[in-house]
Amino acid sequence: MTGRLSLVLVAAVLAPVALAGQRRGAAPASAPVFTDVTKAAGITFVHQSGATPDKYMYETFGSGVAWFDYDNDGYQDLYFVNGAAGAPNALYHNNHDGTFTDVTAKAGVAGIAGSAASKAYKTGVAVGDYDNDGFLDLYVTAFGANLLYHNNGNGTFTDVTAKAGVAGSATEWSTSAGFFDYDGDGDLDLYVDNYINFRRTDNPYCGFQKPGYRMYCSPTMFDGTADRLFRNNGNGTFTDVSRAAGIANPSGKGLGVVFCDVDADGRPDIYVANDQVRNFLYHNNGNGTFRDIAYGAGVGFDADGKPQAGMGVDCGDIDGDLKPDLFVTNFEDELDTLYKNQGGGLFADVSSTIGLRSSYLPLGFGTKLFDYDNDGDLDIYATNGHVVDNVALYRPSSSYDQKDLLYENIGGRFRDVSAQSGPAFQVKRVGRGLAVADFDNDGDLDVVISSVGRPPALLRNDAPPRHWLTLALHGTTSNRFGLGALVTVEAGGHRQAAEVTNVASYLSSNDIRLHIGLGAATSASRITIRWPSGKTQTLTNVAANQILNVKEP
Amino acid sequence: MRLPVHPSCAVSIAVAAIVCATPAFAQTPSAGPRPATPAAATSTEPVAARLGRVQADLYGRAEHLEADVQELKAILGIDPNLAEAHMLLGLAYRGLGKPELVGESKAELQEALDLKPDLIPARFFLAEVYLGLGRYENVRDEMQTALQQAPGQPQFLAVLGEAERHLGNPTRSAELNRQALARDPTFSRARYYLALAQLDLGERDQAIANLEQVTAAHVPEPDVYLSLGNAYLDASRAADATTALEHAVTMAPTRADAHIALARAYRTRGLLTKATEQLTLAKPAGDAVQPTEGYQQVEADLNVEWGRLRLRQGQLVAARTAFQKAIDIAPDNGAAHQGLAMIYLRQRDYAHADAEATRAAALGAPLSAADRQTLDAGLHRPAAGSAK
Repeated sequence: MTGRLSLVLVAAVLAPVALAGQRRGAAPASAPVFTDVTKAAGITFVHQSGATPDKYMYETFGSGVAWFDYDNDGYQDLYFVNGAAGAPNALYHNNHDGTFTDVTAKAGVAGIAGSAASKAYKTGVAVGDYDNDGFLDLYVTAFGANLLYHNNGNGTFTDVTAKAGVAGSATEWSTSAGFFDYDGDGDLDLYVDNYINFRRTDNPYCGFQKPGYRMYCSPTMFDGTADRLFRNNGNGTFTDVSRAAGIANPSGKGLGVVFCDVDADGRPDIYVANDQVRNFLYHNNGNGTFRDIAYGAGVGFDADGKPQAGMGVDCGDIDGDLKPDLFVTNFEDELDTLYKNQGGGLFADVSSTIGLRSSYLPLGFGTKLFDYDNDGDLDIYATNGHVVDNVALYRPSSSYDQKDLLYENIGGRFRDVSAQSGPAFQVKRVGRGLAVADFDNDGDLDVVISSVGRPPALLRNDAPPRHWLTLALHGTTSNRFGLGALVTVEAGGHRQAAEVTNVASYLSSNDIRLHIGLGAATSASRITIRWPSGKTQTLTNVAANQILNVKEP
Repeated sequence: MRLPVHPSCAVSIAVAAIVCATPAFAQTPSAGPRPATPAAATSTEPVAARLGRVQADLYGRAEHLEADVQELKAILGIDPNLAEAHMLLGLAYRGLGKPELVGESKAELQEALDLKPDLIPARFFLAEVYLGLGRYENVRDEMQTALQQAPGQPQFLAVLGEAERHLGNPTRSAELNRQALARDPTFSRARYYLALAQLDLGERDQAIANLEQVTAAHVPEPDVYLSLGNAYLDASRAADATTALEHAVTMAPTRADAHIALARAYRTRGLLTKATEQLTLAKPAGDAVQPTEGYQQVEADLNVEWGRLRLRQGQLVAARTAFQKAIDIAPDNGAAHQGLAMIYLRQRDYAHADAEATRAAALGAPLSAADRQTLDAGLHRPAAGSAK
């Protein structure tokens, strides 16, 4: 079904927002692109790693961060997951003026209530409206039982984990997770990455037997654990269909997950970045099952055929051929990997030839493909940090805290512009979670980064203004926020295709709205939306620099 | 001490014959002549035939491991749920002997078992990976499961026995390996593991006898010769030790532990120039410090042996430096503390010698009776102005 809707009917054009992108003058080339505004924004959260001399692996894991508009006021709020058992997560309400207010207590999302939650080491966060009530819900993963918070729509949340049946095992170590509608029934299902089979009582001593030299063990010492897929029953409960769906590979050590339709068959596929074992690409068969096609597609290993230590992951079209490519951050001495989608179910690792060489030394975690400079293509942000806090004892050239990387996309190749992008890129952090959103609704995408045992960094995008569009989808037959919709934008003789998803990076969740940079184009001549329901909707002559609310016809 | 991860069935000690012929694997096609590069095989060929060729290589001489990996990946690209292909890929990775592939080897074997739980060889190969990782309880779990599926299987008994030894049960280890040998008296691996258990039990002469029996079978396994050489040294049979350890070094010229052991043998026999040569060869390549227990052990052993050699040469300053390096790497290295005690003893610094000797004894490396007697005598007659 194709719908053509008048902008007058479907677009809530926010005048102040439309102007915001033009508020700043053209910045000189040397101006900082990202400015750390954490303190000014009133963010006081500090991650607690719970580190002990016993070097339990989860202590170095870090935690995720999520952007989501929990109160539907049009502004992205911010949720930080905290690590150590008993350390509270934090929800910050966006005050619309560049500042935030901690509303954790009122919202009831600290994640430490109840005996199971109080003992869990919290890791990741996923956001989705699982009950299609128009309010985004929260799923918090952990080494321990996971939590599902239902958004009550009044600024509070209710722990519905038990009712929903999505806690997972209390001994499981869950990591990244995400909501998506894999079976096309209009409600959101839940995929949960699981890491390794770890027990506090089985914590081998690794490193030298010398004071100060004990180190976190390699994941190779431990077995993997199968991921979980929870099918939404449509009544507030879920069914674990992992095994039947074919995604329960026990050898996986999942850290990152992303959903995208790699073969344009209209169904979301799943890509899982695993740590030190090959990655999985689960092709959606359309009948409730998946088939791991990583071997055939060439996305399980690097170009040399080696498995890598995959951490963060994202999916997006980096070269303008309208096919989604895959990006993975990896361990030190491994390039971050860009798998170019060649069509026909085949990918090629182009990492070594496309300008990513500076990613070889850092240890990458959270990442996002996004158009930071609104020039109409996807750039790359990666935050880095080692997993071994005393790595310098063994390798003096390495360090626990490391600098972030920013790559600008120039015609499908990348240039490391970190050094030219402001003081934020001179700061070393133990980067883990990373999420992207336009939190000030000024038409460019901002970044938040979590750091192990430290405060996070909120980096406001101050790039010179260009034109842009943000689409906020409102599904009717499809899931309420249009996750999985494929949007094609034609502007200035240029076409871009992107899927609506907030799932990417490491342990984190991004702005659920779709942001498109338009460069010099002042309007989009055509926007085509293929909704998850199968409906297709076309908008024409859409003015740039607005947040466009689009309802599924 | 443990056997390293072996490249394949073929180079494991007599593993291949039984495991590789288990009924679970009988369904795979028999091997025909293989091309020089298996990956170049025609992709239109039936998967079963391609798999059979790879299997023949891996269970044979394992001469085409890289090509086998490529071919298995190609096969899994066609059928990702082929358990046998996952198992062979895990085996091929292990054969490549690269540390960065150990995890992937394990993962492939686990995936094979997830797809086909009765694929017994995969369980055995997985247990071997666990053995290499020092995950002995996992070895025990896998082999106990395997023995339920194939009761009395000698290889499973042997590997289970070796795990039990590492878990501190040498008596049980010896018992299991004796069971394996009762079923197959020619099974060298079980005899080797039995010898290791006997060494743990203090039955050195029996252990040496078993190790000699294994070497008489010309098993191409440097660890056997290394174990035998070390046992000879402990039995004060330095000449025999030299012969065994020279074998080990010839078989594994890059093994630092073999060079160190041979240096010890040479030093014991007064062949100090040869000892120096061996220690020079034992220096790990590169300057990068590897954060592994094995690396730490080798580095500590190397420095201890340098210290002993320098002590023997009367170079006390160099000896002390070497022992201190060993202690810096591994503070609880008893041999290094013993070496320092010896230096102090030579210098008639009895108080320090006593402190180091006490520490060494607590760490299981006491002074010899004669040296202890000298020290005790010195403590009652402290030397004035002892040099440090």
